[in-house]
Amino acid sequence: MEAPRSANGNGNGTLLAASGLTKTFGGLAAVKDVSFKLNGGTIKAIIGPNGAGKTTLYDLLTSIYLPDEGSVLFQGREIIGLPTHEITALGIARTFQTIRLFTRMTVMENVTIGLHHRTKAGMIKSSLRFPSACREESWMGEEALRLLDIVGLEMQAESLAGSLPFGQQRLLELARALATQPRVMLLDEPASGLNAYETRELGEIIYRVRDMGVTVILVEHDMGLVMRISDEVLVLDYGEIIAEGTPAEVRVDPKVIEAYLGSELD
Amino acid sequence: MNDKAAENKISAWKTAGWWVGLVRRNRTLLIFILFMAVLPLWAERLSKPLDIPILLTMRLVGVFAIAAVGLNLLTGYAGQVSLGQGAFFGIGAYTSALLTVKAGFPVWLGILAAIVVAGLFGLLVAPVLRLKGHYLAMATLGLGIIVFVFMREMTWLTGGNDGVRNIPSLALPGIGIGEMKEYMRAEFYFIWTIAIIVLALCANLVRSRIGRALQALHQSEVAAEAMGVNVAGQKIRVFVLSAALGGLAGGIYAHLQGYIDPNMFFITLSISLVTMVVIGGMESIWGAVAGAAVITFLPKFVEAIPKWVGDAPKWLERYSNYEGIIFGLILILTMVFMPAGITRGLSDMMRYRRSPFVNPFRKKVVE
Repeated sequence: MEAPRSANGNGNGTLLAASGLTKTFGGLAAVKDVSFKLNGGTIKAIIGPNGAGKTTLYDLLTSIYLPDEGSVLFQGREIIGLPTHEITALGIARTFQTIRLFTRMTVMENVTIGLHHRTKAGMIKSSLRFPSACREESWMGEEALRLLDIVGLEMQAESLAGSLPFGQQRLLELARALATQPRVMLLDEPASGLNAYETRELGEIIYRVRDMGVTVILVEHDMGLVMRISDEVLVLDYGEIIAEGTPAEVRVDPKVIEAYLGSELD
Repeated sequence: MNDKAAENKISAWKTAGWWVGLVRRNRTLLIFILFMAVLPLWAERLSKPLDIPILLTMRLVGVFAIAAVGLNLLTGYAGQVSLGQGAFFGIGAYTSALLTVKAGFPVWLGILAAIVVAGLFGLLVAPVLRLKGHYLAMATLGLGIIVFVFMREMTWLTGGNDGVRNIPSLALPGIGIGEMKEYMRAEFYFIWTIAIIVLALCANLVRSRIGRALQALHQSEVAAEAMGVNVAGQKIRVFVLSAALGGLAGGIYAHLQGYIDPNMFFITLSISLVTMVVIGGMESIWGAVAGAAVITFLPKFVEAIPKWVGDAPKWLERYSNYEGIIFGLILILTMVFMPAGITRGLSDMMRYRRSPFVNPFRKKVVE
């Protein structure tokens, strides 16, 4: 239950810097020598054809895999080698391409899992219902509802997460990730499976998240969404960066056009 | 409307005054305490005509409920299947028995030591939690066998197959020797006081952030870890807690029986503890009690049947173990008609007014 991190805390300097990240699976380089910088308060998209290494890159940033080489500095601190939950506590949250909600728990309980590392009561205090533990519990309830309000799911707070329609499940994942109070949010194809209306809504919600002072990295195949909302785009192909820049720059980059072999970038 | 609904949900999370909240939250618990408090009044009268020693068996139910609720935290809530709970039960029993018999400890200290030793042993073997699913089940099964072999072969300490005899009974104040009926009743109240405290604490635990974290890591370890839950740490803690509760149950059991030998703590005990959890209901604190009651009472019940209806016919008697068949059949039918366990099965039936005889093999439309 610490004070909320200030929205301006990020400033505009470099928040996260990856350098020379390499990960091979059985001789196949999923990510090869990837370096990039992430500035605070921006929305950065990572695009690339299927199998370009986007999700692997996320897994490296959140320490689900250890890279063969390379380093990631988050707010000046090396995070490679830290356990995943500590990286989350430092302020990097993520959603999953294949939705990984706790389907047999309610929507609200799902969000409170994101609040877990911001509360302290251990087994003894929880089982004896210490006043401090009770205070935390009611705080978690209020905070969860506030976060559900941001993504527009407060009416479903008591439903089982597994019973939500697909689009709302994606939003719940986002709310759950927001609950960890991240400085950087890694979204893994949040628009896949959403219809055009839901995608537009999602764009609005991502703006709202950015305005809360959270820097967003977005892996996405929906080029319309990517080109509309991102400040910077990074293009991966076969695990390597082939282009980086504003959406307008990337759109006309010959390498990018080649990688997508004529698929339209609009 | 919108705000109001949200408001209601918030207030549901808040406790409305300490006492009101306590009563409202623990309604089931309070009803259960009342039920248990008056149980000896009718149980003693009913035992004779039914030919089932109700009070005697209820003491064992209390002991097994403690071990089963610990296992339910580990297996039901956190999803870590353990076939080694009997080992911790045995370690607790031997710890308290040996300390009281050989070192002259008072009984209460022996039971405390049983909790600590079983918990520490749980901590020692906690690295098996790196295994998942069937592999974890196999590893814990092996653990149970190893502990069993040690109990049998460390003759200088444990007495081997002869076991430990003359374990002092629970020293309960104000009860003289020879007052069997009063003593039984005192034991019943003592055991169930401890069991109810354990159950209440566990019920609080599963409704807290820790309980939710356990359920979360059960459903997706990757997601729980990515949301900031220290998955490995939580698993170890709940494993140690489960082991310690097993040790507590074992410690009480030793003093209840007055005699223990290794065969009591063979893997069959672990398996019946797992059966209690599954039959009673995974992810349910009361399920552990229901499971312990069913598994402990069923054999007594089946044994009593011939006394009610006369001896079994000749053709049936050839199957000398027909009690086992009835026992197994009841377990199978429970699982077929109430796959989520007795507690969930019954509460669903009441809530949805569902007939208990819905064809369980009907194809389900949506899970």
